[in-house]
Parts: sequence; C-alpha cells; structure tokens
Amino acid sequence: MEKVLLRNIDVSDSHTLEVYRARGGYRAWEKVVQSMKPDQLIDEVKASGLRGRGGAGFPTGMKWSFVPKDNPKPKYMVCNADESEPGTFKDRLLIEKDPHATIEGTLIAAYGIQSHTAFIYVRGEMAFAAGVLERAVEEAKQAGFIGENVFGSGYDLDVIVHRGAGAYICGEETALLSSLEGGRGWPKVKPPFPATHGLFGCPTVVNNVETLAALPWIIERGAPAYAAMGTEKSKGTKLFSVSGHIAKPGVYEVEMGYPFKKFLEEDCGGVPNGRRLKGVIPGGASMPVLRPEEIEKVTLDYESVQAAGSLLGSGGVIVMDDSTCMVRAAWNISRFYAHESCGQCSPCREGCHWMEKIFWRIEQGQGDNSDMDLILNVAGNIMGNTICPFGDAAAMPAGAFIRKFRDEFEAHVAERKCTVRDA
Amino acid sequence: MDPVKLIIDGQEITTVKGKTVIQAAAEAGIAIPHYCYHPKLSIAGNCRMCLIEIEKMPKLQIACNTQVAEGMSVLTQSPKVLSVRKAVMEFLLINHPVDCPICDQAGECWLQDYYMTHDLQESRFEARKEHDRKRDIFGPNVVFDGERCIKCTRCVRFLEEVTHTYELTVDNRGDQSTIALFPGAVLDNPLSANVVDICPVGALTDRDFRFKVRVWYLQKTPSICPGCSTGCNTSVETYQNRIARFKPRVNEAVNSHWLCDEGRYCFHDLTGGERLTTPMIRQEGGLVPATWDIALRAVLKGLRSAGQLAGILSGRNTNEEAFLFAKLMKKLSPESALQVFYQERELTEVQKILMSPDRSPNFRGAAEMGVNSNGGFASLMDKLAAGNYSGAYVVGEDLTTANGNHEKLRSALEKLSFLVVQDIRMTDTAKAAHVVLPATHFGEKEGTYTNRKGRLQKLNAAVIPPDGALQDCEIFIRLLDAAGERVSYSTPGEIFQALAQEIPSYRGFDYDAIGDQGVQLGSGGAEPS
Repeated sequence: MEKVLLRNIDVSDSHTLEVYRARGGYRAWEKVVQSMKPDQLIDEVKASGLRGRGGAGFPTGMKWSFVPKDNPKPKYMVCNADESEPGTFKDRLLIEKDPHATIEGTLIAAYGIQSHTAFIYVRGEMAFAAGVLERAVEEAKQAGFIGENVFGSGYDLDVIVHRGAGAYICGEETALLSSLEGGRGWPKVKPPFPATHGLFGCPTVVNNVETLAALPWIIERGAPAYAAMGTEKSKGTKLFSVSGHIAKPGVYEVEMGYPFKKFLEEDCGGVPNGRRLKGVIPGGASMPVLRPEEIEKVTLDYESVQAAGSLLGSGGVIVMDDSTCMVRAAWNISRFYAHESCGQCSPCREGCHWMEKIFWRIEQGQGDNSDMDLILNVAGNIMGNTICPFGDAAAMPAGAFIRKFRDEFEAHVAERKCTVRDA
Repeated sequence: MDPVKLIIDGQEITTVKGKTVIQAAAEAGIAIPHYCYHPKLSIAGNCRMCLIEIEKMPKLQIACNTQVAEGMSVLTQSPKVLSVRKAVMEFLLINHPVDCPICDQAGECWLQDYYMTHDLQESRFEARKEHDRKRDIFGPNVVFDGERCIKCTRCVRFLEEVTHTYELTVDNRGDQSTIALFPGAVLDNPLSANVVDICPVGALTDRDFRFKVRVWYLQKTPSICPGCSTGCNTSVETYQNRIARFKPRVNEAVNSHWLCDEGRYCFHDLTGGERLTTPMIRQEGGLVPATWDIALRAVLKGLRSAGQLAGILSGRNTNEEAFLFAKLMKKLSPESALQVFYQERELTEVQKILMSPDRSPNFRGAAEMGVNSNGGFASLMDKLAAGNYSGAYVVGEDLTTANGNHEKLRSALEKLSFLVVQDIRMTDTAKAAHVVLPATHFGEKEGTYTNRKGRLQKLNAAVIPPDGALQDCEIFIRLLDAAGERVSYSTPGEIFQALAQEIPSYRGFDYDAIGDQGVQLGSGGAEPS
C-alpha cells in the first residue's frame, strides 16, 4: 500500500519546509488556488470519499458544502489539533513530523469554504507540537504560501496557531469554538450548527488534523486514486494508534478494510510475553471494547467495526491481555470521563461521577450484585440525552465492559476483592 | 408571522414560525418541565428536563431549543420521555443534600415540585455525596449554597444578558462545577436579587427574607411597587399581617420579570417604626391624643383660618386619594398651592434598566388628579421655606428629609400658623404639626397608581392597618363632608368611577377592568395593552 499520511515522516528533517517542498509539498495548494474553483474542490473531495478522521466519520466534502455561500459574514476554517482521546496519538505524530502537510491541508480546506482566516487549535499539553507548527506556519508565510495574494492568485489567507488549555472536551467542535472565542470550553446547543453559526457566530468548518493532512495527496493524485483504496463506503487510508499489551506499539497507516486480527497479530506483532488477548478497544477509550472472538472477522473500516458492536472512532487501538482487570480498566476509563465532563448537562455531570464511584466500589470488593445493572441503567440514562456526544463517550465504554465481561464483575462482587490482580 | 400547525400530545396547535416547542406548548396550556429555560434568557439547554419525543427523530430533543415546524408531532408524555424525566431528576438529586426541612426554598422549589409530579422514586445513589460551599455570601442581598445548586446557569446568564454586570461564572468542571463570583467581584448591582427569583432551587436565597417565614404561610397580594414611578408589578407577600417580602410579578408592559433591589426592600423603610394610632392635637406646647371628631374639626378650623394654604401630597398616595385631596383643598381655598412630593436623583446605566429617577410612584397620577399648582414641587418647597404660606396640609412625607435647607424648612414649618400632618409615624414634620392624623401606607390600601409612562395600575391592600389609623380616603371624605361637600362615594372603586367622569384623560376607564396587568392611558378606553 502506498502511504498517504505517513509518506514523509521517515525522512530526516521532514518537519522543515525545505524537505517538504523537495517531496512535492505545497504543489497541491498552488494547484488549488490557481486553477480550481471552490465548488470544483468540494466536488473533488466529495469524490475522494474522504471522511472525518476525528471520530465521527462524516463525509468531509459534504461538511464543507453546508457552509452558505451567500452569508456576508467572514468564514472560518478551524483545524482540530486538540487530540485528547485516550489511546490516540496519531495527530501529534503528523504535526511533529510533517507539520506542513496539515498546514497545506488546512489551506486547501479554507479555500474550499472561501475562508480567509484559518485557525489551528492545538491541545494545551502538546507544547512541542505547537512549537513545530508555529515554526512551520512562519516558514510557509515567509515562502508566500500563507498571507496576502498567495501565488499571485489574489487570494488572501492567514493561519493562526492557537493553543488550548488542555481540556478533553475542547476536542468537541463546538467546545473548541467556545474555547477559541476566549470562553469556557463548553459545547454549544445545536442548532444552530457551526456551518452557519460557528466561530464568533460566523460560518465555520472544523476538520481533524488527519482529515486535512490527506488533502494534499488527494489533490495531487486525484480523487479516484484515493477512492481506489479502502472499501466501498470507507475510502482511503487511516491511521491507527496502537497501545497497550502489544509487541510493537505505534502509529500505523492502514488501508481501510484491512483485517483487524491480521493487523494486530502480524503488523503489530501480537500480544507479547506469551499472554493472550482479552479485549481490544478499536477507536479510542470512548468506544465499546471488543472481545477476541468479536474481532475475528472485523476489518478496519467504519462499517465493519460498527457491525461488530463498536466504532472506529479515532483509531486509537487499546490492547488488553489476560492480565488486565476489566473492572479496573472500566473504572480507569470512567474516572477519565468523570474528570473531563464539562459539567454542563445534568446527566453527564452527575452520571459520569456516579458510574465511576460504582466501578470503584466493585473493584474494591465492595460492590453489590445489582451494581452492574445500575451502571447499565445510568449509562443508558446518559446516552443520547446530552448537548454533545461526551455523554455517549462516557456511557458506551461503561456499558460495553459490563456486558462483555460481566462474569469478571460478578466475581469481584462474589469474592469481595479484585479477582484478577489479587488472584 | 407565518402560522405553523403542529400536534402536541395529539392536540392540534396553531402557533407562529420561530416559536420553540416549549413556548408553543405553554401557549396551549401544556407545561413541559424545565429548569434552565427562562423566557427572558438565552437558551442554555443544559438541564435536560424538557426532553421530548418528536416523531421521526431518533433521539429525544430539548423542547426549549427545538423550533416548531409544520406538521411536527410532539409527545411530552411518552414512556421514553417520562423515563428520561425521572432519570434527570435522579441525576439532579444525587449530590443534592435533600435537606428540605432546613432549606428556605422549600415550598417553592422546583426540585420538590418536579419530584412530586415527575419522579416519586427513591434514589439509587448510595455513594458519598460531593460537597460544596455553604452560605457563600455573594453580595448584600444574595447568599449561595453550592450543594443545592443544579448549575442551570440562569443567574450567570441574567448577569450577562440583562444587567451586563458579569459578577458570576461557572467554576471548575464535572460534578465539581460550581457557581462563583469572579475574583474581586461582589454581587451588588441594583438588580442583584433577581437572581434569587430566577433560581429554581435553594441555591440562591434572599438574605433579607430567608429564615423569616416558611413560604407556604405567605399570603400573596398582587400590587405595585411604591419605590419609584416605574410602577413595577409586585406580589406583596405577608405573614401575620406584616410584609415579609416583595416578589416581581410578570408584566411585559412594565417590568418584564424583574424588580430592582431598592424597590424590593423599600417596604422596610415605608412600613417600619412605631405607628401612630390616635390623632393628636397641639395643646400648651405638646401634642396630646384626641378623638377623630375633635381632630378633624380642628383641622378644618385651622386650615380655614390659616390664610394662604399649601397642600403637599406623598407620591405614594393613590389617584383616588389625590382626587379627594385636591377637591378638599380647593374647597377650603381655591388658591391653595398643591404639589405632589417629587425629587430626582442621578441613575447609573444598570439602575436605568428598571428604575425611575424619583421616589414617587404616583406623581403623574396625583398631578393629573389636580395636585399640580404652577411652579412644581421644588418651587413650592422654596416658598414654604421662605414663609410664603401660613397654613399647610402635609400627607405621607417627612419634608425635613427632603433635599435643601433642612433647618430653614424646619423653622418655617414651626412658624406656620397651622400645620396638619397625616402620616403613619411621628416624623420630624409631624412633630411640628398642630394636628397629626394617623393614616395608612401603600400596603394597607386599595386604589390606583399611574406610572411615569401613563400606565394605570391597581394597588391592593395586603395588610390591615392598625386600630386607630384611618384610610387616607376616609380622612379626606370626612373632612369634605365636614366642609359641606357631601360626596356620594366611599370605596376606592367608587371614587375611581367618580374621577373617571371628572378627569378627561381617565374618562372611559373602568376600575374593574384595570386588572392585574393595568391599562395604558390614552389608549382610548379600558383596553389592556
């Protein structure tokens, strides 16, 4: 498979403009701004089948097309580099090793919606990545790729790198916009949607780093080349961040539709130390965990993972071997969501902590046989009932751990201790 | 205004485009429970109590942020909706102390009310409740209990969107979220106590009112704030014949949902202190108790023989009282100088949201009733201080506290050949009087006020005056009677009907049609506007 996203990262000094240009960098941007009409660009991206890589998998070209053309307000392009989903570290790699691809993708997307100001919102903790981006943006400005009248086309475009303060919720696009506006990182009620009322109330598109980084390649090589990869509905390639009990953790670029089991066992070297796989989360901590038997026939694309009962999400693959206490894993994840809930909606604000407290008492051997159903019920009461998908993100893993490893929870209750670590 | 037809719980409802489901349902008498939604604040959508089911939509939607659409079918009582309401109630209560017996909000708490109507289940929460700040003083009138707060952010939005004073914000995250003052801020803006009214739970309570009365003992009387001439609509809430608090009453033509702090607490000054309960007459240098008959005869005799008369009426007297007062004074002396008490002060921008620059709620009405000789109040006071009058009738105001040269005024009052003061307390002005008549305050009387903008509104008696005091109207009628002008009316309603025949701008208005929302003068009749 030809690499789309990781094509530059193994080259030394790949983060510099010099190397990026030597490898064809910014030619796509030049082509777009000099020879393509915005509608043409949107059609091209639609034809490529590119879907949002932040987790939701929404078709990118379609998202752009929702921006009203006759709206007199300024339009904003925002690159979401607030990568915070536990188990996900692909965007950080892209930014640190190949910042210009993300910047070029951001420029192309901005042109698609006719935005003259683009923001790259970088997660607070990613100080190094933000520095790399800032330097890369400066280089691109010096070279005339960003600024007034780029390539003599008459098109003006500024790019601003903005660092967040490190809240997970700011990866949610409306919370990101609230934060970017200088407010508290709270998701906004929808409607209205960002496409019409986004940043500062103006039409806005927010795209993930990985989504944008694929754009230069799509423009250079054409939509058909991209669409030729992957499955019928999941086109192209996707990055997977693999962590946990795996021999070769890291970021992998995989063609959509690649067999999950083969990926783990061959590409990633399988579960080490003679241990056996106990469970794997395919799409970041917010997605339902899968049992080994559930991934037998799963391929790495949106549809197949969903059919197996989970979601591809951000592609954060968390591997757990048979030494893992699933109760503790569930508690660990629930603690994260309890800590990161923005506190706006009643079900999420109160329910996330409630679930965490119940998981903790089960793990401590102080649980009750009714606790599992209680968590399932609480998770169900949060699910779908909040302003943003955070509630779902907290509810889905909690429910999945109980449904799929119920025997382990029951053993904790029956033996009044952790039956895995204290076995 | 495009009409939109939708179906809520099987009932066809016609409303207009742009309305939300919660508004359309309310118009049709269908109450959708909610905490964070407030008709005068932006949509927060955070409490999730108003989740409803809409046909063809997979997820429940919040009624406060869902616009009506033609043909939309809404269910507010489906099993899914009822179960989510219970769930939201349970979530809101898991960290709530449920200490209703010692909470001042009990009895008017939305958590209690919705628990009874939408929940009625035992909590399944067995873990330790999160703790938060108790008794956090936000400002002179407002105290915060973080544990009872449901983070609906109504208070924060009020301070951002109505007063633009931005004292409060949400601090921290998740179940540690709490409402807090910005560093260095104090919640002391002129409208601060409105956050207590809009707080649906016991998180924000009124430092003046709390722990004085359980709210279910309160008797509520719709009335008008006597604080200034804006004429904010109030509910006067009383317990054991004392005013316990004012609450704003919604009137979009006047005060919307709000009441300023000065108005809210003005009843303390206007009703407090030791009441006069017997008329008094000056004898041998001192004021001694007298019967009403003797006192009123003395008033008539004194005013008739005093020469040049000044009549000063309080701005808190009703139209009916002003009508009778003007009639009486002109009967005694057609040249009487009559004025209603009126003084202005500078207002800040936040004060201007509700407050008028005066403290005379009915100055306009009183003037329209004929208490308005040439020259205005300040000029009359100057003349009074200069000794231009020899007799005066002062109603409901202590002139010595007015702006200007107090000493000069006090000695001028003492030099009058006859001074009658009609008030509820022994004021410094009353101390200089030859006859003192015990009267009633705004909360004890019925009648009408006309606000600064010409809205005619009704005052209702919320408490009973003390024995010995008389209604101002009755005093004026008795004096008119003794002066030889027998009037055929006695109740405020009858007096109003009389004045509505005599005063051109009030012609055609009907006392009973004024109602709880008032009517606009100059609108051509008793049409509520």
